[in-house]
Amino acid sequence: MAAVSQGFKADLLGAIPSLRAFAVSLTQNADKADDLVQETLVKAWDKHESFQPGTNLKAWLFTILRNEFYSQMRKRGREVQDSDGIMTARLAVHPAQHGQLDLKDFRGALEQLPEDQREAIILIGASGFSYEEAAEICGCAVGTIKSRVSRARTRLQEILKISGEDEYGPDAISAQVTGTAAH
Amino acid sequence: MKDMTKDILAGAAGRRRNGVGDPLGPNSEIGRKLKQYYDELVSDDVPDRFAQLLSQLEQTEPAQKKD
Repeated sequence: MAAVSQGFKADLLGAIPSLRAFAVSLTQNADKADDLVQETLVKAWDKHESFQPGTNLKAWLFTILRNEFYSQMRKRGREVQDSDGIMTARLAVHPAQHGQLDLKDFRGALEQLPEDQREAIILIGASGFSYEEAAEICGCAVGTIKSRVSRARTRLQEILKISGEDEYGPDAISAQVTGTAAH
Repeated sequence: MKDMTKDILAGAAGRRRNGVGDPLGPNSEIGRKLKQYYDELVSDDVPDRFAQLLSQLEQTEPAQKKD
């Protein structure tokens, strides 16, 4: 086995904050998340030769972490949630007041999403991956990611009772139009 | 002028329906919270165990290449 280069090690170290954030998003538990990151680093180290230099290391590591997460869930005999089998019971979340949404409420809402939707909206809306990269990480079609993101967003809006997204844009424009009409 | 006003109104209605081009962009409350949630996680201090783990992996490795 070829030695792991210093550069690779440094890149792994640099990726740890993102890996931890993604792991917490998946597991919703800080301890489980760090165990998952540890497993990911060991796996990445062992199979470093399969990484193609010049390709996206972060995406490669996210793929390993995600696979590890789902294989652990299966081992524990936990059924992987999917969007179709979602429970209808919802925690009561106070409606956002004056557009100010509490981060704690948001976290609670995110927790209620099925895993496949949560990971999709995190990868696209927060981790900065493209739809193509997210599809590769999740091993599914780009269209599947798009529909999961869209369902996740709709569901978060429902849970958090956000009705009029884009609340600033149209109002600002209406005001402009009204202003013009008054002249 | 009348046409322009109509265009602006149509544009606003379209955005209201579709949520401005990028549905998770800065004009979206969900998009903003999502980034806030994630950025907070990313900026969390990394425990030493991870740097230690990588050093351990490095030490157990046979014939470290020096270049």
